[in-house]
Amino acid sequence: MEWYWAGALLLGCVMAGMALGIPVAFTFLLTNIVGTCVFVIGRQDTFAAFIDRFMMQVPQVVDNAPQLITSFTLSPIPMFILMGSLFFHTGLAIKVFDALDKLLGKIPGRLCYLTVIGGSLFSTLTGSTMANTAMLGSLLVPEMQRRGYSKHMSMGPILGTGGLAMIIPPSSLGVLLASIASVDVGALLIAGLLPGFVLAGLYAGMITIMLVMNPDSAPSYEIEPTTWREKGYQVVVNILPMGFVIFLVIGFIVLGWATPSESASFGVVGVVILAVVRRAFTWGAFKTSLIGTIRVVGMVFFILMNSTVFSQLLSFSGASRGFVGWATGFEVAPLVILGAMFLVLILLGMFMDPVSMMLITVPIFYPIAGELGYDLIWFSLIVLMSLEMSATTPPFGLLLYIMMGMVKGTTLGQVSLAAAPYLLCDLILIIILIIFPMLALYLPGLMGG
Amino acid sequence: MEAFDKALEKVVKALAYLASAFIPCIFTMIVIDVSIRTMGITPPLFTSSIVEYGLLYIAMFSAPWLVREKGHVAIEALVSILRPTVQTVLAKFMYTICGLAALLFSYFALRLFLEAADSGQLDVRGVDMPYWAQFLPMTIGFFLVALEFMMFLAGLRHYYSYDLSEIKDEV
Repeated sequence: MEWYWAGALLLGCVMAGMALGIPVAFTFLLTNIVGTCVFVIGRQDTFAAFIDRFMMQVPQVVDNAPQLITSFTLSPIPMFILMGSLFFHTGLAIKVFDALDKLLGKIPGRLCYLTVIGGSLFSTLTGSTMANTAMLGSLLVPEMQRRGYSKHMSMGPILGTGGLAMIIPPSSLGVLLASIASVDVGALLIAGLLPGFVLAGLYAGMITIMLVMNPDSAPSYEIEPTTWREKGYQVVVNILPMGFVIFLVIGFIVLGWATPSESASFGVVGVVILAVVRRAFTWGAFKTSLIGTIRVVGMVFFILMNSTVFSQLLSFSGASRGFVGWATGFEVAPLVILGAMFLVLILLGMFMDPVSMMLITVPIFYPIAGELGYDLIWFSLIVLMSLEMSATTPPFGLLLYIMMGMVKGTTLGQVSLAAAPYLLCDLILIIILIIFPMLALYLPGLMGG
Repeated sequence: MEAFDKALEKVVKALAYLASAFIPCIFTMIVIDVSIRTMGITPPLFTSSIVEYGLLYIAMFSAPWLVREKGHVAIEALVSILRPTVQTVLAKFMYTICGLAALLFSYFALRLFLEAADSGQLDVRGVDMPYWAQFLPMTIGFFLVALEFMMFLAGLRHYYSYDLSEIKDEV
């Protein structure tokens, strides 16, 4: 079978399954069975011969399924999600926000800036975009509404900053992408640090521009003055201790004391220690955090398990190789191909969750990027940025729905419009990364990776 | 049927709790392992193998509970615009093929489990693990997933809301 028919069949099965509402993990599982029948078993003379081959070959699919999932490099994913969950359920996150709130003083649009600063800080403490957005939304949207902020000024910064957790380490999706694409997990996590903070700066700049254009959209209001002593106390008691957790995760990786897989576990222990010291730890909060973590991790890992064979089938059928040859055969600049891959990710993201997108595109895009001579750590960051953008693009961007759930009475159009300026910031960062790749590659270079 | 469903719920919940319990076990083992290594003592070899298998057990032991809780992500938006009768037919079709596929995988995993147990085959990792240990959670997990889909097929629950505002509220 020609590679394009093979690719169309495999990708078509996945797309059709998803469109019919079949859960993503089962879509991959069913596609694996179809793919095995077509490409491995093939046409047989009799039905009995087909069944014979089926009974011989499908166990191979079952045998191969745990290959990716039983990889030590995936172990940080539950830990990064648990860290965020523990921060939220023990109340530590609220204490950090209260402290930052006191530091900001009376400035116009202070809650928008608080969103960016607090969200960036929280991104260094959790690996979950959903947790970040949900936490920022639940903490800040009611207060913003009470203070008369317009809808786009209250929802926009949260939608933008919520996605920062995808690139600022620790990032669960970063670990997942690195594992699927077989790139250095530690290097990818560290590579996201500087671009993440640049993006936070771009968001703050965008807020300032919007405030200048329309000061009434985020009116300033009187706040109780805070003494310098009180501010110092808040920094020492509530903000500086977070540095301990950040050091356990990012510092351990940079200093080479632990691998990314190991430092994630230290991060969880760090959060537990902080919660115990602040007398915020309860077994109830721990249990709730674990259940919340297993909901996300169980779903992601089950998809991963069922998609392992899908990647193998793409390769076995010749579809991956065919795609690479086709894409690199055009007489165009590599940047055009990069732009095309970016567009595909954005389009897929309008209908699909980030994990499914990765599983479908990584086996095709990474060989192409390698063939074009792109650094795969840098390319992974571009992919993560595209995934972050796709989470806030209509009609099915997940973060849009989280926001709609929190701000009653809003329409998808209003939420999407609020997110649009921050999508522009994401695009600007991608352009900066293309012009100055060292922004992403400087820190991994220091690791000697 | 409802009594059976209640018993099934107890089993899948117990397995999900077991899956959650793996997470603290994993981070405790890793922290101890790294601490021992930092002190200059040779850490135990089994940590990475146990962690790697733990990830598989987390996936397979939480899967049936996630089916019950409608926790496996599905894209409903396109189906939600169809007529209710078509939606019902599609939902029954989905429960049937997902249940059958899970049953098939459970059967093959059981066959592989028995073969590996019989041959004493080992999986070469940090420490050699019995190969059957990979297929044990798959046999149990996929079998329970199949049973959960049968409960949906029997009409005890519905996997889909087909109303995006409900999903939105849950989020």
